[in-house]
Formats: sequence, structure tokens, C-alpha cells
Amino acid sequence: MLARTGLRGLGLRQNAPPIQQQQRRLLNHFISKVPVEAQQQQQQQQDGSVAARRFTLAVKDNIATASPSTTTCASPFLTTYQSPFEATIITQLRARGAVLVGKTNLDEFGMGCHSIHSAFGPVSHNRGSDGVERSAGGSSGGSAVAVAEGDADVALGTDTGGSVRLPAAYTGVVGFKPSYGMLSRHGVVPYANSLDTVGLLAREVGPIKDLVIGDGLWAEHDPKDPTSLSAAARRRCAKDREGYGVPQQEEALSLNGIRFGIPLEYNIEELDPRIRDAWAAAAKLLQGLGARIVPVSLPSTRQALSTYYVIAPAEALSNLAKYDGIRYGSRREGSTEDSDGDGGVLYAANRGRGFGEEVKRRILLGSYTLSSEAMDNYFLKAQAVRRLVRRDFDRVFRLENPLVHEAELSFDLSDLPDSVAMENKFGPTEVDFLLCPTAPTLAPRLEDVLSQTSAVDAYMNDVFTVPASLAGLPAISIPMPVVASSGAAAAAAGGAEEDTAGLQLIGQLWDDARLLSVADALSKRLSGGRRS
Amino acid sequence: MARIRTVELGRYLLNGKLGRQGCLCARRASFAGMSAIGQTRHFASPAQQFEPPIHPRKQAKDQAKALKASGKKQKKKNTDNQTVPGWELTVGIEIHAQLNTPRKLFSPAATSFNDTPNSHVALFDVALPGSQPAFQPDALIPAVRAALALGCDIQHVSRFDRKHYFHWDQPAGYQITQFYEPFAKDGHIVLRARDGIAAEDGDSIKIGIKQVQMEQDTAKTMALPGEVQWLDFNRVGVPLIEVITLPQMHHPATAAALVRKVQMLLNSVDACVSGMEAGGLRADVNVSVRRTDDTSGELGTRTEIKNLSSFKAVEDAIIAERDRQIALLEAGGVVAGETRGWSLGGTETRRLRGKEGEVDYRYMPDPDLGPVVIDEQLVSHLATSMGMLPDAEMDQLISEYGLSTKDALSLVQLDDGARIQYFYNVLDELELRLGADKSSDQSHVLLAANWCLHELGKLTEVSSDLEMTPSGECKVGSADLAAILHHIHRRQITAKVAKDLLWSVFRGEIEHRGVSEAIEAQGMWFQELAEEEYAAIADSVVQGEMKVVGEFLRFKTGKTKAYPQGKLMFLVGRMLQAGPEQKMDPASAERVLRVRIEEVYIPALEAMQAAEE
Repeated sequence: MLARTGLRGLGLRQNAPPIQQQQRRLLNHFISKVPVEAQQQQQQQQDGSVAARRFTLAVKDNIATASPSTTTCASPFLTTYQSPFEATIITQLRARGAVLVGKTNLDEFGMGCHSIHSAFGPVSHNRGSDGVERSAGGSSGGSAVAVAEGDADVALGTDTGGSVRLPAAYTGVVGFKPSYGMLSRHGVVPYANSLDTVGLLAREVGPIKDLVIGDGLWAEHDPKDPTSLSAAARRRCAKDREGYGVPQQEEALSLNGIRFGIPLEYNIEELDPRIRDAWAAAAKLLQGLGARIVPVSLPSTRQALSTYYVIAPAEALSNLAKYDGIRYGSRREGSTEDSDGDGGVLYAANRGRGFGEEVKRRILLGSYTLSSEAMDNYFLKAQAVRRLVRRDFDRVFRLENPLVHEAELSFDLSDLPDSVAMENKFGPTEVDFLLCPTAPTLAPRLEDVLSQTSAVDAYMNDVFTVPASLAGLPAISIPMPVVASSGAAAAAAGGAEEDTAGLQLIGQLWDDARLLSVADALSKRLSGGRRS
Repeated sequence: MARIRTVELGRYLLNGKLGRQGCLCARRASFAGMSAIGQTRHFASPAQQFEPPIHPRKQAKDQAKALKASGKKQKKKNTDNQTVPGWELTVGIEIHAQLNTPRKLFSPAATSFNDTPNSHVALFDVALPGSQPAFQPDALIPAVRAALALGCDIQHVSRFDRKHYFHWDQPAGYQITQFYEPFAKDGHIVLRARDGIAAEDGDSIKIGIKQVQMEQDTAKTMALPGEVQWLDFNRVGVPLIEVITLPQMHHPATAAALVRKVQMLLNSVDACVSGMEAGGLRADVNVSVRRTDDTSGELGTRTEIKNLSSFKAVEDAIIAERDRQIALLEAGGVVAGETRGWSLGGTETRRLRGKEGEVDYRYMPDPDLGPVVIDEQLVSHLATSMGMLPDAEMDQLISEYGLSTKDALSLVQLDDGARIQYFYNVLDELELRLGADKSSDQSHVLLAANWCLHELGKLTEVSSDLEMTPSGECKVGSADLAAILHHIHRRQITAKVAKDLLWSVFRGEIEHRGVSEAIEAQGMWFQELAEEEYAAIADSVVQGEMKVVGEFLRFKTGKTKAYPQGKLMFLVGRMLQAGPEQKMDPASAERVLRVRIEEVYIPALEAMQAAEE
């Protein structure tokens, strides 16, 4: 029933399916599409009340959809894999009016920043009139482009270290990563279980907010996902939070008095000056709306990226162990290297052939950091730093982290860096949200990222998104206009005034409802400002 | 990774699964819940047509091969081979046992035996992409019981880790186990002489248990001809516990005794589905040697022998490996830390892989699974409801009931623990019948034990033909045996009649609870002869045997030292032949005869001899 569509030649592996149909504008954001008849069939199955809320949904191809659709994870191992079951999140969204339109392209198993490491070729995105192909961001690049292009109202992605927020920033849409444990991961093919979350993308905050908060996705525990918060824990978490009760009146939300923290450590050297300016402009806009802007310090930020690239590959190594050419992928017959006898390693060749370069790189990384010699120096240290990252956040947020013991919540002022200003004798100002860019640069040219040789350069794109992932916090990227800056850059960019970057808002755990409301309000102001 | 599976596989396929009757024993001792293999050990029913070709004879072949290879060496008996002068052996053991639970460890799929292959498989069992583990708390009950029986501290919080290695029988590419934070630690087992420890270890020895951990079993591999392997995922994810001892054993027999004892303890608390000989239990042993005059305090380099599946294999493999290491060291060589294998009945261990081939398991806390929190209340509830452990029970049988150690041990071990339960059932019935009349000297207990063990044992060639159930009933109903014993105890029937009755009950010739009626109907009640009638028979027998009476006279006059009991019993035999046997009690006959000889025949003989002189 499902037709494969639009594969580009670039990077296509030999066992990828043939090109069946030219995809519009060759963006290559879908791996498979649901034919129109099948979409109509889905619509007929919806009863009246659901049909009234009908919306189109694109799904990242590492989230299981039941056969006949495939769930490839953009991996050569799974190009023909049909899941016998459907992910909980899909079932939940169907019940809320979703009509599945297709499965979107991604970096293999969610590992990448530009959606170029795919068995189905890279995703591209061209905004503006210059016609230059840009990176769609990764790893949920296909989902972001599907939303940006209007192929779907809402798209599902997965966010492990920024995989929803980064593509949203690069493609000018909204990308939301909920608190860890809120949305079920059952049916999401894991990359790094302790970091993976299901994320949502849309052109505006509204539809996301309606689904997660208004339609009560936030409250649904899934017994099939051991990391899905129990109903009791959800109630406890929501008790001290606003926005989960009676639906708020849109007008009721005021940004007046809300405190936004500007993390000093995020003002890095590599930050594009245009983004820095836009960030400052957004802060100024908020101040104008009555919000308070407070500088805060998150001292562990610098170690967070390395921590992420120790923990995530370690978990990836484990999760990908099952792809061995015996059950998934193909095994070359009659080859002596495949022998399980003395000296032979049955799986090595299969895995060598079956995985893409980026996945192999991360498996090797994980194999090293988990090895008995390196474990103590890498994996265990990384876990310790991860706690520090979370403590940083807990210290700056006004709200307490409901999943942390009180004893861990007391902080010694002497631990604070000197640069942090004290609000009063009790310490520095505590904030409601953190305000920072989603990525240090605008969407790079696809050509540049394809020729990039250093993996570390790509990893740099995650620097602002990884800390919230490590701490399991809700975060959202909304488009913010980037004003054409001075001189040559603006001239070269041509239609630069059309460019947007991602503005990221991070909230305390389970403060998703308020985060979405604030992001909605701010987003409207930002885009309003652009229009004027 | 090369692993021997065939032997274990054969056992696994050929044995039935456990009944799931209640784990807690209602009566004093706790053997009711023990393995129910006897009940369900059947080959696959006709409905289960799937009969994959297997090689149960491979084991025997390996054995023969190994013997041949050894060149018919005269083997020393193990009991004489517990020590090597100048050397100290050190052994630590890891024992894997299948927990007795209805579901797998991380999925609600049923645990099963001999069911249609791949019929109990959940998404997670085969590690389908996107599936997640769901810990089944049921597994905690047998696991905690096992740990309590092994004297461990139950940890309030424990966690699961992933142990990575590639093997086709493990779909996820890792096994979920408890490496860093196991649920039970710091236990011990006391082994006594009666457990079969080496004589060198004296009356008893205490072996420390380092930890007990929960983990997943792997899929079952079925080897077909032509290097084809079939996989049955019914077994994948079935809960196991691994018991890890400290390296505190120094004699091979003691190591084997430890494994046997662990099995007995696990069975007694209903923690484990089947015994070692049935494939539900397997052991890995770590063996090292050092010179007795070694003052460094360090143990020698150890080797690990994997997958030992019988008690004898444990002892034999340790002896063989010890001797190999000593020979190597005495020849100036070095022991390599490596993994070795053992074929049943062999004489030498063989190298499986060296340290360079050793897998780095890359243990990692499972990021999907939260900690296991075991409530103190659960632990104390299980501790109090667990019933009596085998050692306490043995002590009771020996010191309170007066059984011999040998009989007590047989009673406890026969029929996988069902025999002792039968004994308790019979004893209950018997005491009910005796009422206030029961003997203060426990002679009725000994009588019951004797019949439950020895007389019952004479009925069949193999005890399984008794059809003993785990709840302690068999073809001879406990009430019927109690009725027979009651009549013996009251001297209402003779032992011979009692034995005939037992046979009749066994053959089903006597209705259930119809023992007394049968005795009545066939006039088998014991109506004993009067003293005078005994005396008359004694007289008729002794008349022709005056020569024999001479023996008694010689004893009386001090010419021989020992009383001629044999002669006396010979005469009693003649009495039983001469008189109506069903009315005679040999003891009474003996008593009367003795008096007649003393009082009548010796004086008569003396008189005769005096007359002759």
C-alpha cells in the first residue's frame, strides 16, 4: 500500500529501494509515503468528533508504524523492515485526529546533525529565493522539512540531543522536546534510551500545545514503556505546575513578571553574530513585554557536550547490538570471514557492511568508553557530569525538580562562580525559563556539510541543545527572525531578511504546559515583529 | 563464542516442566512444593507433533571418545584423590538455576517446557526494534526465597545491567543481568559431613556466597544435521538466578557437595524449576592451585570450566583441572587464565578460549529499567512462610525421631522430596488413629519411617513406579499404610500379614480405606496362642533336638562364652513351621521357648548326664 518516493542519488546505498517517483523539489524528506487512498481510508475510520479535529501527520522513520508501512530508521539493516506493532504515540495521535501521510527521512537511527547520514540519501532544504540547498538539520530533518513544506500539519521526530530542535531551527518551524518520561517511547527505535524523547514539529506552537496539553497527551502513562512516568508521578509533578488544569484563556497569559535567564556560558565564540543580535533582540522584546531578563550561570555547560558524546554512543552501542545480519540485514553466504569457528567472527563483516559511517563511528566510540579499561574514566565520569548539569539547571530554576530528592536540592553558594550576581543574601535570582539560541549558526549549505570531514564540527551544532537533554528538561525551538547584518554577509546572503534562526526556551521538568504557552505568546510576537 | 549446549539441550527437551502449585507448605516441613517432575515428566503429547532431531547420544559418544583418548588410564577413586601433597586447590563456583515463575523476567510471555517452539514469545523477547522490557515482579518471590535459603542479605535496591556479547541465541545482543548491584549479597552455606564433603574438611565447612543475581536465559538451540541450527525463543528471557560463591573450597568433593546442596536448598524453598540432572541448573567452576608453602597470600592464576551439568562432572572436572595445572607448574610452565570445557565422563579439560579471546562484556546499567526496590515486609513475609530448610528438617528427623542419618537423608531426597511429605502424611494419619495411645518412645515414628522407606521400596524396582505426587500421595494411600501400621503397632496383625496387605493395597486389590475390612473378611486378625499352646509347640520341636539343647547347657556351664542365639532362632523357626503361623508372634515364641529350655530341658539334660555318670 505504501509507495516509496523520491530517493536522491547522493549517498544512496546499493540495497536502497529504486526511485519510483520524482519528489517535489527533490528535498528527499520522505522515505515512504502513504498513498492518497490509504489516507482516505484512515479518515473514514475516524468518527465524527475526531474527524472534526483531523490533521495530517508525518512520522520520523525510526518510530514504528504497523505494516504495510516500513520502519527503516534510514538504515541499510532495516530497508524492508515492517513492524508488527505500532508505537504508542501514533495510536494516541490517531485517536486525536491524525492522518498519517508518510514516514520521514533522518540520520540513520537518529545519529547526526544534518540528516545526511541516511541509506536513502540526504535531506535538503532550500529557503528563500537564492535556491541554495541548505542542511535541514538532524536527525529529524525529514520531519522538519515535511512541516515547513506544508506536507503535514504536525510531524513526529525524536530528540536525543537536539534532533527535533535543531532541524526546527534550520528550517524555520517549531520543534518541541517534552520532559523525559512524558510521551511514550514504546515503538520508538532507541538510540540512547536515557536521552531519547518523542518530539513534535509544527509551523506554529499552537497545534503542539493543543495535542500535548489540551488533548491530554501529557497525562497518559504507557505501561509498555518502563520510562513513562506513572500516573501517580504525573499527578505529583503537575501539582506544583501551572497550565495542566482548566484550559487557559489565550488572553490570560501575560509575560509580565516572568523571569528569563540568559545563560552566560552560551555566549560562545562560535556563535554567529547575527544570531547573537537576534537573541539580544528577543530578550529586549521580552523586557518590553514586562518580563525580567536575568543573566545566569550554568558552569557545567562546557562539559555537557563531551558528556553527551560519551553517554549517547555507549547506549547506542548496546541498542544496535541486535543488528547483526542474522535477523536484520543480509549475511553474505559462503564467506569464511563469517564463520563462527575458531578465529572467525560471525557478525563483524555483516555489521561492517550494514551500518553507515556515522553509526559505525558512534559504535566505536561507545565500544571504547564502555570497555573495562576506559569505563571508569569515561562512562562513569560522564554520568557524574550529567548530574552536575542537572544540578546547574535545578539551581537556576525557581521551580523545584519534582524527581529529585530534597537533599540534593540544596546548593552551597560558595560553589557558584564569581561572575554570578546575587539577587539577595539567599543567592542569585531564580528564573522561570532559560532563553538561548537553538544552534550557534544558521542552516549551513548542504554542500558544505557533505564535504565536512571532521565529525566534531558537526557535533558542535548540538552544544546548546544537549544540556536540556541530559537533564531531561522540556525545551522548544521557535523561529526568530535574523536581521540582515552589516556589510558583506548581508550582501552575500541576498534575501537575508527572510532568514530565521531557532530561539530556544528551556523549562524546569514537567513545566511543559507553561513553556508551551510562553513559547506560543513569544512566537507570535516574534513573527509579528517580522511582518511589521 | 563456542559454547556446549547439546548436553544441556538433551536434558532440557527430555524433561517435563514443573507444576505451579503453591509454593508455601502448609505442614511443618516444606517439601510439598518441590519439583513436580515426577508428575509431568512426559514426552511431548501427540498434540505437540514437533519433534526436532536432537543428539542425546552425543554425550555418550564424547564420553567414549574422551576415554579412548586418555589411553585407558587407571583412574584413582575420587575419595582418595581429594588432595595433592604440597599443593593447595582453590575453587569458586557460579551456579545458574531457572526460577520457578509463570512469566518471563521482562515480558508477560509464559514460561514453558516442551510447548510448540516459538509459541511464547513477546515483542521484547526477540528484541524487536522499539520494544521495551517490562519487569515482572512475580520473579521476585522465588528469587528472594532462594537468596534467603542461601543466607543472603536482600538488598533494598538493586539494578539491572546489560552484558554484551554476540550469539545467535541472544536476540538483543546483550543479556540483562545484575552485575553492579545484585539483589542479594553476603550469604553462606554450611556443608556438613552428611552432605558428602571431603573427609579433609571435617564435620562441617562454611562457604560464603558473594552474591545472587537475577538474569535472562537465552534461546534454545537445536542442532540439526549439516551445521543447521534451529532456535526456539520460548526460553529466551526466562528468569534465572546466578549464585556466585567465594573461592573458599579446597577439595573437589566439597565443591560437588556445594552444588548439590544449593540445588537441595533451592528445591526446598520452591525457587527452582528443575534439578541439575534435569538441566535446570548448571555450574561454572573457577579453579586455581598454589604451593602450600606459598607465603605471598595470592591465589594462583585461575581457569574457568564452563557449563558443568552434573555433580559428578563438577568433581571430576576440578580434579582433572587441578592435576593439569599442577603438572604444568611442576614442569616449569605457567597457567594461562582461560576458559575451558569438560565432557561428561572425560579425564581432561579442554581449552575453549584464551584470555585474548575473552569477551569484554561492556557492562552498562540498563537505561530502560528502573531500580528494583524490594520491600522489607516482602522479605520478612517470605522468610516466615518459607517453611523448614533441609538441614533443620534433617536435625529433627535424627534427633527427635531417632532415624539414622542415612535413613533421614534417603527420606529427604527420595522422589524429589515427595517421599518425606508422604512420610509426614502417613505419620499424621497414624497419630490420629493412635490418639492418646501413641507411644511415648517414638517407636511408631520409627515404624512409619521404616515402612515408608524400606517396605515401600520393595514394591517397585524404580521408585517412580510408585507414582508419588509432590503433595505426598502414591499408589499406596497414606491412610491405608497408616491403617496397616496402626494394626502392627497394636499387635493386631503380624508383620507377614502386614506385608501381604501392603502388596494387596499396591495392586489395588483392597479398596481405598478398606484395610481393616479386608483383614476382617479374610480372618487375618492376629489371635495369639496362649502360653500353654506355645509351650506345647515348643515341646514338640525340642523333643527331636536334644543335641541342640546341649549347646545351651555348655553356655550355662561356662564352656562357651556366647549365648547360642542362632540355635534359639533356629528352634523358633521350627516352631513357626510346626504351629499355626498366623496366630504366632515370633517374639512370643522366642520368649516361651527360652523359658522352656531354661526351666525344663536343661535341667532334664543335666539329670540325664548325671545319670550316665
